[in-house]
Amino acid sequence: MKKWLLLSFISAMLVTACSNGNGNSEAPANGGNSSDSPEASADAPKEKVTFTYFNAAAGAKDINTNETTIGKMLEDQTGVNFKIEHLVGDINTKIGTMIASNEYPDVLIPDAAIDKVLDAGAFIPLNDLIEEYGPNIKKVYGPYFEQMKAEDGSIYFIPFSNVVGEYIPDPSIMQGAFWVQRRVLEEAGYPKITKLDDYFKLIEDYMGKHKDEDLTGFMSLTHDWRFFATSNPPMHLEGYPNDGGVIIDMNTFEAKTYAAADSTKRWLKKLNEINAKGMFDKASFVDNYDQYLAKMTSGKVLGYFDYGWQTGNATNALADAAKADPSKDGFRYFPLPVTFDGQKDQYLDPPGFVKNRGIGITVSAKDPVRIIQYFDNLLKEENQVLRSWGIKGETFEVNGEGRMYRTKEQVAKIDESFNESFGFKYYSWNWPQWGNNSTFPDGNAVQPGMQPEVFQMNLTDADKAILDKYGVKTYSELFAAPDERPWFPAWAIPKEQGSPQQIFTTKSDEITKKYFPRLVLSSPAEFEAVWAEYAGEMGKLDTEAYEKWTTEEVKKLIDLAKGS
Amino acid sequence: MATAVTTTTAAKPRKQSRISSSRGDRIFDICNSIFLILLMVITLYPFVNTAAVSFNQASDTIRGGIYLWPRMFTWDNYAYVFKEAGVFHATLISVLRSVIGTVVTVFCSAMVAYTISRQDFVLRKFVTIAFILTMYFNGGLIPNFLLIRELGLLGTFSVYIIPGIIGVFNLIIIRSFIDGLPESILESARIDGAGDFTTFMKIVLPLCVPVLATVALFTAVYQWNSWFDVFLYNSSFQELSTLQYELQKILQNSNASMSARTAGDAFANAGNDAANAVTPMSVRATMTIVASLPIIMVYPFLQKYFVKGMMVGGVKG
Amino acid sequence: MENAQPTTAAKALSGKPAGFFAKLARQRALVLMSVPFIIWLFIFKYLPLWGWTIAFQKFKPAKGFFDQQWVGFEHFAFLFQDERFLRVLRNTLAMSAINLVLGFVTAIVLALLLNEVRQVYFKRVVQTVSYLPHFISWVVAASIVQSTLSPDGIINELLSWLGWVDKGNEILFLGVGEYFWGIFGASSVWKDVGWNTIVYLAAMTMIDPSQYEAAKMDGANRLERIWYVTLPGIKPVVIVLLIMQIGHLLEAGFEPQYLLGNGMNVDYSEVIDIFVLKYGIAQGNFSLSVAAGMFKTVVSFILLFAANHLAKRMGESRLF
Repeated sequence: MKKWLLLSFISAMLVTACSNGNGNSEAPANGGNSSDSPEASADAPKEKVTFTYFNAAAGAKDINTNETTIGKMLEDQTGVNFKIEHLVGDINTKIGTMIASNEYPDVLIPDAAIDKVLDAGAFIPLNDLIEEYGPNIKKVYGPYFEQMKAEDGSIYFIPFSNVVGEYIPDPSIMQGAFWVQRRVLEEAGYPKITKLDDYFKLIEDYMGKHKDEDLTGFMSLTHDWRFFATSNPPMHLEGYPNDGGVIIDMNTFEAKTYAAADSTKRWLKKLNEINAKGMFDKASFVDNYDQYLAKMTSGKVLGYFDYGWQTGNATNALADAAKADPSKDGFRYFPLPVTFDGQKDQYLDPPGFVKNRGIGITVSAKDPVRIIQYFDNLLKEENQVLRSWGIKGETFEVNGEGRMYRTKEQVAKIDESFNESFGFKYYSWNWPQWGNNSTFPDGNAVQPGMQPEVFQMNLTDADKAILDKYGVKTYSELFAAPDERPWFPAWAIPKEQGSPQQIFTTKSDEITKKYFPRLVLSSPAEFEAVWAEYAGEMGKLDTEAYEKWTTEEVKKLIDLAKGS
Repeated sequence: MATAVTTTTAAKPRKQSRISSSRGDRIFDICNSIFLILLMVITLYPFVNTAAVSFNQASDTIRGGIYLWPRMFTWDNYAYVFKEAGVFHATLISVLRSVIGTVVTVFCSAMVAYTISRQDFVLRKFVTIAFILTMYFNGGLIPNFLLIRELGLLGTFSVYIIPGIIGVFNLIIIRSFIDGLPESILESARIDGAGDFTTFMKIVLPLCVPVLATVALFTAVYQWNSWFDVFLYNSSFQELSTLQYELQKILQNSNASMSARTAGDAFANAGNDAANAVTPMSVRATMTIVASLPIIMVYPFLQKYFVKGMMVGGVKG
Repeated sequence: MENAQPTTAAKALSGKPAGFFAKLARQRALVLMSVPFIIWLFIFKYLPLWGWTIAFQKFKPAKGFFDQQWVGFEHFAFLFQDERFLRVLRNTLAMSAINLVLGFVTAIVLALLLNEVRQVYFKRVVQTVSYLPHFISWVVAASIVQSTLSPDGIINELLSWLGWVDKGNEILFLGVGEYFWGIFGASSVWKDVGWNTIVYLAAMTMIDPSQYEAAKMDGANRLERIWYVTLPGIKPVVIVLLIMQIGHLLEAGFEPQYLLGNGMNVDYSEVIDIFVLKYGIAQGNFSLSVAAGMFKTVVSFILLFAANHLAKRMGESRLF
């Protein structure tokens, strides 16, 4: 009997006792003092060291970088290993606890929580470190330094979307487009479609000829945060790239929201019209993402608007099915550069520099110098080849003209588990790098996926045939080349937490989500009335202030780009 | 405590007399059975559906239309989940925290419940209200985190146990049961000269077996399913990771690998067999099965402690 | 079942201190059995309440307590002045009430029905199966609900087979705001009814079998036995649970509404927690969620004490 009493007492006591004992012992002193002597730049083999690396941006197995082939080779060069941990739950919660306790991993990729991390002063300024230990960082990121500087002139983190060498576009369509099933194009004789009306006419004709097949003409993704797949098209139809909720005039650089503008009205009126004709999938507004993908894979839906990166699960499945059975190629989708009146499209992303994502060294870091040296070493050309192409003879080959490519066997070998064990998975992003659209001095693409040879090799005969009908070699050639927009993407302009701008975006989203279904599904006679109600609701928001703020930010970015 | 429980379960359940089953009784029984079977159908469906998805090829599942059985049978989803070496160790931790957490919580809750069931206990009202109020407030995430950190519980196994020593809901349920015990039994113990603690151990605990089984089930399920505390306090300590947390990681991983396959560089690898690819949907289904089967097994085992009337009858007789 | 003795403890507390301490000393075993846990309770539950000060700050986690910017009732004002707040409050209360009534009634009825099953194995199987959906996460459960209710889902198929809806005019169940509370209630019951019976079944084990025998002797039929023996037998537990639950009236859950909600039903599906998520946590505004939490606590306390008092007045068992 006494034992239990004792036990419960002890447990209670332990709890109180611990509060005095532990706790601060492991808290590192505020780092940032790079007192190490600059002997570091020498090639002398260094003591092995492991740093912690927390990645809030992507999920993967937690791992030590030296357990991967790439990471091991980099460790041999630098003596540095990183223990990678990935975020599993809610980002704000995790970062919030780090900030509250002022204990961070050595290296942090805070993703969407970056402004909180900056606000907390968790990153050390890198300027001096780069100056002293980062010749390659200077070379690779030099052109962007002005854009990377915070208001106080310090560089706190290193973004990932820089371009080194010549800009090379993505040959496949990861960005937005109006998609249509290939069989529809085939039956119509591969017409050139550039106008919204023509696009829906194409679908309507096909449906008319195949009445008893239970087809759906058009559907739209609306689920949760992916709602922008339904609200963004007016911007693209007007001939602008994805700047988020605003269109930025190319002459005046004024930002204008378009959620309640004529373009949106025209888009929704069109959807309303096709809904009245029975072409629109009403369930679009209640389906979740999985249901949407299922419909896409079912082959019953003729067209949709979406961004390529959102539909990968479905389009991959369709491509696989077509590989197994070429007669199913007609169910695959083909991207079309559709605009309202056939004006020049701007679906392809212009070279942009995402300034509100990146990797930084925290105040808890034990030895910032070793870390910055590791970053610098990683940015050497040969290490960039290593991290994206791998090892010559194992994961890539070079032909007589010096072009890099992969054999069929190599492509087959590089599956998910190979990506993990070799380390491609861990080094493909989230490190200082030569961005995705970069090229090496010899003209090879940094990313294998951007290399035309690699892209061509993966095309099926059917792919080649349909591309040939449109007289292009890659999907991206179907679209107009992107104009220069130094602010791009405007959606990446950081908004302060809880600021009027952020509240505006949240409220505006709320209203569009509520009214779009009504606007599309109401009878055409009611459309104007519902639109008036919607416009009234939107009118209550302080749109002007939001546009003014965005315009100012855009202009700042233009000035920065000019200055550099 | 364990011995106390087992001695009482030896009592056989009483059989209901079947002598007078009237016609009305039989109609009632038939309707009841039909209703319960219908209920089983709709409650079994989600589980069967989830199992079917977990055994179906991921790339095929995207097409939808999987209901009661897989269309393209595969073990791939399970292989994907179990290829992570961490899963086995994490399962061990999950079992440990479920067992230890349950024993500690049930015992401590029962003990406090007994004290607040004693009408004559001077601190009864104070203790009762102090506990009950905590059900309706929360200091918030950050203060709780800082507390755990100050107590030195970060990165320890105890952080799974100590913050949850007493569940207030459980406490109240147990108290209600003790309140319902025949006063005479407790009285007789006191006449025998047993102290309060002895009365609790020897009389109250054994009598409370059905409710303790209930509370044990609640606690075990809660412990088994928790992953938020792992996320918050122990995410950097692989050796303390639990099954649910590992599964969350795998789910996250499958999300990311799908988008990687879609994005830029993965195009170079698009040639390889997509049939092996997993999707979050399939992984989630597989996770559900992997994580819930063990804990579901606990119930039939506990069920024998829910047998009607045995304690009261047993002690009285 | 009856709490006859009016609190002797209260008397002791208000009475002479000498008597109180003497009694305390006499009851030292009980004290030792509870007080360590009171210490635990204070540390783990009451100590973190300093966090409530966050509601009155423009809280930044990086700053120390004294460096925070104090904003008074600004966050409360944001909450209460928003025109949508009344709506989300209404939705929260409505769904919570539906859950409360439906949850209690269905679980008790099912427990009673199960209790009447005579074949032990059938009973065990039903019980085990009925609680399975509890182990399916809401994410999975919601997607099952969504596909069941979709235009090509089983409900619409059934309705069109019955000739109640035309092909092409299927009902978008989740697209009609007015249906949402019903859908929510039904899904919650489906998911948790089996699980919720457990506690009542346990309560039924405490009923003295001789009471059934006696009722039978008096010629009571099945339903009468349920009504006069079983129900009164579990009443104390039901009432205590009910009081606890009433205190939680502002907690209507969060996941099902979030997962099943969409632009078309948002006027009926959005609850306080979703509102706080959108304008608080998602914006990095911890203060707003703490303010909302405090509001809920105040309401909870009022409801709790009221319900407990009512139970006392009606001579029922109560929570404290």
